[in-house]
Amino acid sequence: MRSVLGQLHLNKVTKSFGDIKVIKGVTLDIQDGEFVVFVGPSGCGKSTLLRIIAGLDDATTGDIVIDGAKVNDLAPVNRGIAMVFQSYALYPHMTVFENIAFPLRVEKMPEAELTAKVEAVAKVLQLDQRLQQKPGALSGGQRQRVAIGRAIVREPKIFLFDEPLSNLDAALRADMRIELTKMHHDLAATMIYVTHDQIEAMTMADRIVVLNGGFVSQVGKPLELYHKPQNKFVAGFIGNPKMNFLPATCTAAGPDGVTVTCEGQTIMVPVEPRNGLIGKTLTLGIRPEHIHLGKGDIRFDVVPTVVERLGVNTIVYATATGAEPFSAMLPGAANVSVDTPSTIGFNAADCHLFDGADQALERRTDLHEIDMAQLAAQSA
Amino acid sequence: MSTSTPMINRYKWYEIIGIYCGIALFLIFVLSPFVEGFLVSLKPLSRLFSSPYRFWPEHGSFAAYSTMWESVPGFARYVFNSLFISGVATVVVLMLVVPAAYAFARFRFPGRGPLLGAFLAVNMFSGAVLIIPLFRLMRSMGVLNTYWAMIVPGVAFLIPTAIWLLRTYMLRIPKELEEAAYVDGASRLYTFRRVILPLAMPGITVVAITTFINAYSQQFIYALTFNSKTDYMPLPIGLFAYFGRQEVIWNELMAASFVGIAPAMIVIFFLQRHLVSGLTAGAVK
Ligand SMILES: Nc1ncnc2c1ncn2[C@@H]1O[C@H](COP(=O)(O)OP(=O)(O)O)[C@@H](O)[C@H]1O
Ligand SMILES: [Mg+2]
Repeated sequence: MRSVLGQLHLNKVTKSFGDIKVIKGVTLDIQDGEFVVFVGPSGCGKSTLLRIIAGLDDATTGDIVIDGAKVNDLAPVNRGIAMVFQSYALYPHMTVFENIAFPLRVEKMPEAELTAKVEAVAKVLQLDQRLQQKPGALSGGQRQRVAIGRAIVREPKIFLFDEPLSNLDAALRADMRIELTKMHHDLAATMIYVTHDQIEAMTMADRIVVLNGGFVSQVGKPLELYHKPQNKFVAGFIGNPKMNFLPATCTAAGPDGVTVTCEGQTIMVPVEPRNGLIGKTLTLGIRPEHIHLGKGDIRFDVVPTVVERLGVNTIVYATATGAEPFSAMLPGAANVSVDTPSTIGFNAADCHLFDGADQALERRTDLHEIDMAQLAAQSA
Repeated sequence: MSTSTPMINRYKWYEIIGIYCGIALFLIFVLSPFVEGFLVSLKPLSRLFSSPYRFWPEHGSFAAYSTMWESVPGFARYVFNSLFISGVATVVVLMLVVPAAYAFARFRFPGRGPLLGAFLAVNMFSGAVLIIPLFRLMRSMGVLNTYWAMIVPGVAFLIPTAIWLLRTYMLRIPKELEEAAYVDGASRLYTFRRVILPLAMPGITVVAITTFINAYSQQFIYALTFNSKTDYMPLPIGLFAYFGRQEVIWNELMAASFVGIAPAMIVIFFLQRHLVSGLTAGAVK
């Protein structure tokens, strides 16, 4: 297939519905051939931003630039984008063939060429046996593939996906994730993918854009977001179960890191120090998977309230000293049981620190690999 | 494999008897005038008022169904007029209402709400209330004593209900379908033709049927007031021809009534085949 690439630039884009500001100023650069995932909680404006890029909604202010040309006033088709809707939006009265052929019919493509293209796309998506059926007769996964087929048949520069997998069951979702990643590789097109599922974001993206309340919270590679979240929101959003937050008091800051007191114990966390930290109350973040049973630079007792045994690991939920629930992911079949106090601990090197404004102090760590498969298994 | 009834649809035997009794009572109430009308059409005129009155006809025959054509030679013409007026009215209503209903369902424009409300308000007046202003209007348009005299007011009073019906139906067509078509480069008109119209077909059929029936039944008031040409008279007026100078030819009148509505029934029978449900299955989700 022709691989025309699309480079997208958003410049201070905002969007209001009446008095309500939904997108509050987004500036973003997306490179040719990149797979970018917009992730964020429901209602944070992901769909709205995607619809602005598509040309289904106008930006209230700001510019959308594709391949160097401002496209604010261009119709979607002239922007060279194709979109896959969350609800698939298939034409129920048309066959699979006609659904996929729709964009080509609009272009008035000659019949022979059209048939060849649709059949090629159907083959890639394993729909060649279904071409004469109506969408109503297809399974969820097949409908999804028809919707994708309708997008790729036009060979757009940029693909937009709005939560394309959210209506599928867990197993099918995992399969489609792999298929989409493969498709991105084969088509080498720019893809922008919206999801509220951080596992999809972590496993598929070249870069992730974390949105929160109409702002970009952080942009980065998956491992960057995991290891060096820039703020408490991203730290809590990426990772499952959620990162634990504990109050900590800063006692010293030096070139090696910041020393804090947490749970009555003192540790030195290797992060970039900042002026005026000493004496302040900070938030210490520690991921459940970095908690160990009985050992660590900081140790304390918790009483498990729920224990989930997943085989490969054990997840323990407990109430810690703070008001927030505390969770730990222990390897294998850990020796813990409900209502029996256990001593847990974690190491200073695994800690994150956030200042009073929830901004992270930059960690000094490599972006070492994390086990995505394990992460994915958690969410399924 | 036996077809099992879902739990929620299972009834005890006495509940079933009760349900059927209810249905029977209702049907008797609704259908008995028709049954009696039909039986009257089978009776010889001389026996109609014989006492004691007999419900079942003695010496019943279909003779009235052939003599009715001779008593009122123009009858076929009246039936045709009725069909023609209702048919044209239905076509005109559909041509106006389909795009209008789509606009009311999809576009936001100033005055949309008040306009829809106004349509409802218009429906509260029957044509009869407005007969005098309508007469002046028809006269100044110069359409008195033409088919248009019966078609135009009919259309005007049929449009509001039709718009409401069809708008409601069109609101159920997922918006994403149009957005998908728009993203794929289709124009509004193309989308309307290829996506909206086919999906709205059951709704359009319902509107066509109700419009046709209403046009059929309401035309007589316009015919009485705006038309005096016998050639253009519709069925209901035509039936008056069976009211003779001395006596009403009841059996032929009844026969003519049944013959008169038969074509309409046939039209409706064919229209309702478009009433397929579940047309949007598989569109979204
Ligand atoms: N057409 C609209 N009119 C008014 N408010 C809207 C409209 N579309 C979206 N919103 C609001 O904008 C916010 C973001 O919506 P959306 O972009 O759909 O979020 P999500 O991140 O879940 O996709 C929501 O609070 C929603 O209520
Ligand atoms: Mg959304």
